[in-house]
Amino acid sequence: MESTAKQEHDAVNWLDLYGDALYRFAMARVHNAFTAEDLVQETLMAAYRSYEKFSGKSTVKTWLTGILKNKIADYYRKLKPEYGDENIDSYASSLDTLFDTKEKWKIKPGDWGGDPQNVFERKELLAVIHACLADMPERIAHVYKMRELEGATTSEICERIETGKNNCWVILYRARMLLRRCLEVNWFGGINERV
Amino acid sequence: MRHWIFSCKKITRLISESMDRELPFYKRMGIRFHLMMCALCRRYEKQLLYIRSILRQSSEAEDLSCHSMPTDARKRIEEKLNDKCNDPHD
Repeated sequence: MESTAKQEHDAVNWLDLYGDALYRFAMARVHNAFTAEDLVQETLMAAYRSYEKFSGKSTVKTWLTGILKNKIADYYRKLKPEYGDENIDSYASSLDTLFDTKEKWKIKPGDWGGDPQNVFERKELLAVIHACLADMPERIAHVYKMRELEGATTSEICERIETGKNNCWVILYRARMLLRRCLEVNWFGGINERV
Repeated sequence: MRHWIFSCKKITRLISESMDRELPFYKRMGIRFHLMMCALCRRYEKQLLYIRSILRQSSEAEDLSCHSMPTDARKRIEEKLNDKCNDPHD
């Protein structure tokens, strides 16, 4: 089926043949099922519309993957804030309330106790983590997922979101602070008040 | 000596950064020194590492299970494609 010769101009057929591969490719980069689905769909639509541009020099799969790569790059570009990352700073200024004027803890980190042992509890905890990430500004959450789920290095992340290293570290810091606090409130609820 | 002493707020930033790159020596010393005396920042560090370990484990598990597109997603895409691609005016 990988032949470069006569490939049918049929998007549904492409979906059957390459849908899984494209979806996996997208998932590995955006870590979000809905976004991955949208990207695969857009890719197939774009491929269908621009079929005459397909030279047949590569396989259909390579051609489709190339289109998907562009869609993913567009997606990240759209997340890039128009006026730099200042809005992230203003959003995250709520973090400053965690510390007093001497930069000591005001809202103290609570004792989270042990690691949930049973699988069910662990799954729930993961669900809360993902809900917390969904509540964060998209750009922060994405950078964080690239780092912690995909295991990307800071340089890889900076390149992909087109920003400097220092800014990457700040974004990751914001993400960790927000996530930690969100979990403390929503999962380890209330314990933060007693130390 | 003075520049080895960091506030809790600064330490939270440095601990996070140490999870993304190797810090210069004086910053590593600064963290160690601070953590020796500050139970709250020790707790903070433990929590960040805990969250990281949970996510790493889950993404490893996900890699093994994520072989294909969910059927409902596939269906939705197929419907959209049929709508668009069969419409000669589109």
